[in-house]
Amino acid sequence: MEPILDIKGLRVTFQTNDGPVEAVRGIDLSVKPGETVAIVGESGSGKSQATMALMGLLARNGKATGSALYRGQELIGMSERNLNKVRGDKITMIFQEPMTSLDPLYRIGEQLAEPLRFHRGLSRAKARPRIVELLKLVGIPEPERRIDSYPHELSGGQRQRVMIAMALACDPDILIADEPTTALDVTIQAQILTLLAELQQRLGMAILFITHDLGIVQRFADRVYVMRRGEVVETGATADLFAAPAHPYTRMLLDAEPAGRKLPPPENAPVLLDGQNVEVVFRSSGGLFQPADELRAVDGISVALHQGQTIGIVGESGSGKSTLGRALLRLLPSAGVISYKGRELTNDPAAMRPMRRELQLVFQDPFGSLSPRMTVGRIITEGLMIHEPALSARERDVRAGEALAEVGLEPGMRNRYPHEFSGGQRQRIAIARTMILKPKVIVLDEPTSALDRSVQKQIVDLLRDLQQKHGLSYLFISHDLAVVRALADYILVMKQGRVVEQGQTEAIFDHPAQDYTRTLMAAALETTRFRQEDPAPVLP
Amino acid sequence: MTVTPDPAEVVAVSGRSLWQDAWIRLRRNRAAVASAVVLILLGLVGLFGPMLSPHDHARVYPQFVRVPASLEAYPRADVVLPSFEREMSRARIEGEPVLEDGSVTLALQQDEPIDERILRYFQRSDLFINPRLDLAPDGLSGTLTAEVGQLHFYFGTDALGRDLMSRVFIGVRISLAIGLLASFMALVIGVSYGAISGYLGGRVDNVMMRVVDILYSLPFIFFVILLVVFFGRNLVIIFIAIGATEWLDMARIVRGQTLSLKRQEFVQAAEALGATKAGILRRHIIPNTLGPVVVFVTLLVPKAILLESLLSFLGLGVQEPLTSLGLLISEGANNMRGAPWLLFFPALTLTAILFALNFLGDGLRDSLDPKDR
Amino acid sequence: MLRYTLRRLASAVPTVFIIVTLTFFMIRLAPGGPFDLERPLDPLIMANLNRAYNLDGSLWSQYLTYLGNLLQGDLGPSFTRRDFSVNDLFATGLPVSILLGSLALLLATVIGVILGAIAALRQNSSLDYAIVGLATFGITTPNFVVAPLLSLFFGVLLGWLPAGGWSQTDPIYWVLPVLTLALPQVAVIARLVRGATVEALRSNHVRTARAYGLPARTVVIKHALRAAMLPAVSYLGPTAAGLLTGSVVVETIFGLPGIGRYFVQGALGRDYTLVMGTVVVIALFVIVFNLIVDLLYTFLDPRVRYD
Repeated sequence: MEPILDIKGLRVTFQTNDGPVEAVRGIDLSVKPGETVAIVGESGSGKSQATMALMGLLARNGKATGSALYRGQELIGMSERNLNKVRGDKITMIFQEPMTSLDPLYRIGEQLAEPLRFHRGLSRAKARPRIVELLKLVGIPEPERRIDSYPHELSGGQRQRVMIAMALACDPDILIADEPTTALDVTIQAQILTLLAELQQRLGMAILFITHDLGIVQRFADRVYVMRRGEVVETGATADLFAAPAHPYTRMLLDAEPAGRKLPPPENAPVLLDGQNVEVVFRSSGGLFQPADELRAVDGISVALHQGQTIGIVGESGSGKSTLGRALLRLLPSAGVISYKGRELTNDPAAMRPMRRELQLVFQDPFGSLSPRMTVGRIITEGLMIHEPALSARERDVRAGEALAEVGLEPGMRNRYPHEFSGGQRQRIAIARTMILKPKVIVLDEPTSALDRSVQKQIVDLLRDLQQKHGLSYLFISHDLAVVRALADYILVMKQGRVVEQGQTEAIFDHPAQDYTRTLMAAALETTRFRQEDPAPVLP
Repeated sequence: MTVTPDPAEVVAVSGRSLWQDAWIRLRRNRAAVASAVVLILLGLVGLFGPMLSPHDHARVYPQFVRVPASLEAYPRADVVLPSFEREMSRARIEGEPVLEDGSVTLALQQDEPIDERILRYFQRSDLFINPRLDLAPDGLSGTLTAEVGQLHFYFGTDALGRDLMSRVFIGVRISLAIGLLASFMALVIGVSYGAISGYLGGRVDNVMMRVVDILYSLPFIFFVILLVVFFGRNLVIIFIAIGATEWLDMARIVRGQTLSLKRQEFVQAAEALGATKAGILRRHIIPNTLGPVVVFVTLLVPKAILLESLLSFLGLGVQEPLTSLGLLISEGANNMRGAPWLLFFPALTLTAILFALNFLGDGLRDSLDPKDR
Repeated sequence: MLRYTLRRLASAVPTVFIIVTLTFFMIRLAPGGPFDLERPLDPLIMANLNRAYNLDGSLWSQYLTYLGNLLQGDLGPSFTRRDFSVNDLFATGLPVSILLGSLALLLATVIGVILGAIAALRQNSSLDYAIVGLATFGITTPNFVVAPLLSLFFGVLLGWLPAGGWSQTDPIYWVLPVLTLALPQVAVIARLVRGATVEALRSNHVRTARAYGLPARTVVIKHALRAAMLPAVSYLGPTAAGLLTGSVVVETIFGLPGIGRYFVQGALGRDYTLVMGTVVVIALFVIVFNLIVDLLYTFLDPRVRYD
């Protein structure tokens, strides 16, 4: 079959203050009617910019050259007026950010009517039944009422459904989906993907799917293009490419899926951190006329963390898992009895201060957790200044170098500032900051969620090595079950502040008791299914 | 899209702090650099101008009232002899004065002995210097010579005959001094108030911000005017009044910064390390509020200058013979029909100061703004 | 909405009360009095005057009397303009200030929005730079510089317009004052609108509109400019209050009979009631216009709800 979209030698260049930067360096790509094509790559690989270029949506300082033929029409360099006859009609797009992709000032019906008015010449009144139909199609409940909602009255998943409805309004030939599920909760992700697959079966348009998630690619795409630093390094049918990746980068991406298992600690391992009936209640102070609101973020949870154990805490966003992690370290005022090595931890910050040395926390966002105006050396040694004030500046400097070496960074980097490092390097710095204090318990709050898959794997490996070397106990908080499965030997599943299910990792994964747990796993399991055989478990 | 350099390409071992980055970006901003140069020049003018100027700002030249701005020296050739003759008639002497080579010579011939005191009339005049009387031995004849003065009024003179340039120099000095002092005062009050309020939070924060809100709802400029009217017109009161009203914005900005910093993960990280409140405030919060504070101060200085000028313009500012740009503009506005330069030069100077400060502030904001990176 | 409006108005009462109280005691505790002349008055006359103007009781009772009169809408007699009450003064001055202020507000909004939008749409062009430069000029140049320069140029040198003076009926006298009042606001609004439009044009929902092939006009006007109006609207609240209550500088330079001069004149002449009256009137304007802006916001931005 003739391709309906044929891209040849596409280049995208951005003029920046530091000179021109090539985001896309001459790629060839084609899409046949009804086909699903995936572009896979990590952040900065140029995969989004390539599609922005053919939609004429590049930022002002960007310029595209090369060729992109849609049914023989050249899209690159086409006038805005002619491009407007194609985009939104024949080629449509949904974006990564469902929360902001719709105009907050107009009702969704008004926004959905726009493509129909401009491409099909329908009046607002004529467009309305079609819009209700579209909303029904994408599974919005009560479409007759929802059509008059404003975007802020809808959830993120519903907004993405509205965007899909908009994309389908004019029966397009090609739907470009740019990371359409990345910003959504795991449970919603699965629903949106299923919806897209169903709609494609019914309506028969081609889908160009841009993602970093190999699980989605495997489940969804007929053919794959793997992009790295603006170039397509490998392409082929999905099954072939996953079975026999040719390019080292593709292999690296496939291997980047977290692997390995952690065995539980010995039976007689002592309990280090013990929380009984932990409760956190957030109160929003009410006004004069409204009563105060109460939110039970953590609602009576008991946890016992043994030496050498990793407890994975999973759940969708808002389930209270991060709050639980902080509450157990008494970083938030919390009720319930918490003890560490048999000593009770209180809510008094001053009494907690000396205990903090052995109870550490690593954050999700490696960009926000490092003070931007301090050198890496000073960031890492801050804990030493607090807990070993007797150390000289020189001794601290030596220790900083050692800590950096331990997490795999050059000791010479300690004079630099955080903004000079990549995300993975920053997360290593954050880990070095805790390791320098030789802690016993570390709460890891989504430490890999902000990172690319290949970097995630390195951090997971690092955490595992450190645990083995120092006999650490982890409380690993994550929504990503693939990572949790590789790291944790025990799992707590949280929903709305409560534990709905818990048990040994294998048991939970093999026989989840709750529907909620099964939906949570769906996405994670999809991503790992393609692997024929998992490597042998790693002994702690 | 952000393009992050490959880590392997970053080889520099010593790091660049955000301040150094900002400095590099600021240096690339031509408008900001030009503004900084202008401000330094104006600062030098304010510091040394009044000393180097040939005229004292309070010196009155009665013969040179409202002379236009000119690069040439005063007096003009055509007024020298008439002026000389006017002095002669006051001195009750007669003769034909001759102007030659920048000096006037008069041959005197009288029936009575010439009184040497006639020299005084010429000494008092601003037009002539070193008048000399060479008398013949009999005292009945002699020559009176006087050099014609070379007075430069590059900006002209005002309605009293004072050199406008010297007065503008003084105005620059007063304006910059008030701007800096008042901003410094607003800085000190605002930063400490805002940081304390934001960091302590809770009820203390509520009460402290309520106070700020109420002060906000007082008409600002009126408060300044009240202070100045009732507690006297002197420099200290003016700068206290301006500083005391301008700190509110600063307090709000610093509080907002502190509140958002408190929620930042690096502050939580420090708490998790066991850092004390004082340590967090010192190591994490204050250094990170500095950026916006520096920017705000650069924009505060022109505001303070403007406020002082407005007070002076309304006649509530500094008092004669001291002057400020606002007062000069006010005088200029009153004399603009006959002597537009009196309005033009002070207005130009004030506008230049305000322009430069605003451009510098904008440039600083852009260079400190992480979004720009 | 009505409940919200009423609640806002109710919460304004304590604010006005605090302002009135602070101002009252501040001016009373300051040295000097309204009848202090260079030559002291005869004590008997002084006592009579004080009694006539209700200055003879204790400060506290004077304060209560003032509050009582204020509640009935009586701002008291003026001390310096002997035959007028403060209410009379505002009745004649306020229409002038409101007329000039609202014309300036209208002019500034229309021109500011147009310039700001043009600059944003032609970002980094020479037109953009010209508009930004003009805006910086408008913001940095104080009105006591602009007013005499305009008067000098158009009034004295060119003679096209009257250099000063006032006529209730002849709009030619309004031109220069309105221009002076509008210029800095044009500049601020243009800058606000430019910044907000640039931001809106970069926003995701504008990208969506472009991706769906909407004509450039629809994208800009419907999806970018409406969002970009919001910061300008919130700026307009206090600005409108300021413009409509007159400007001492503009009124002094052009010789206008507005109310902007009253505060300075009142403060200099220790005209207590005039000062208090000005403060009350201005506070009311600020409160009302902030409320109007907040209510307007609910119509412009569906995300904002007060009930």
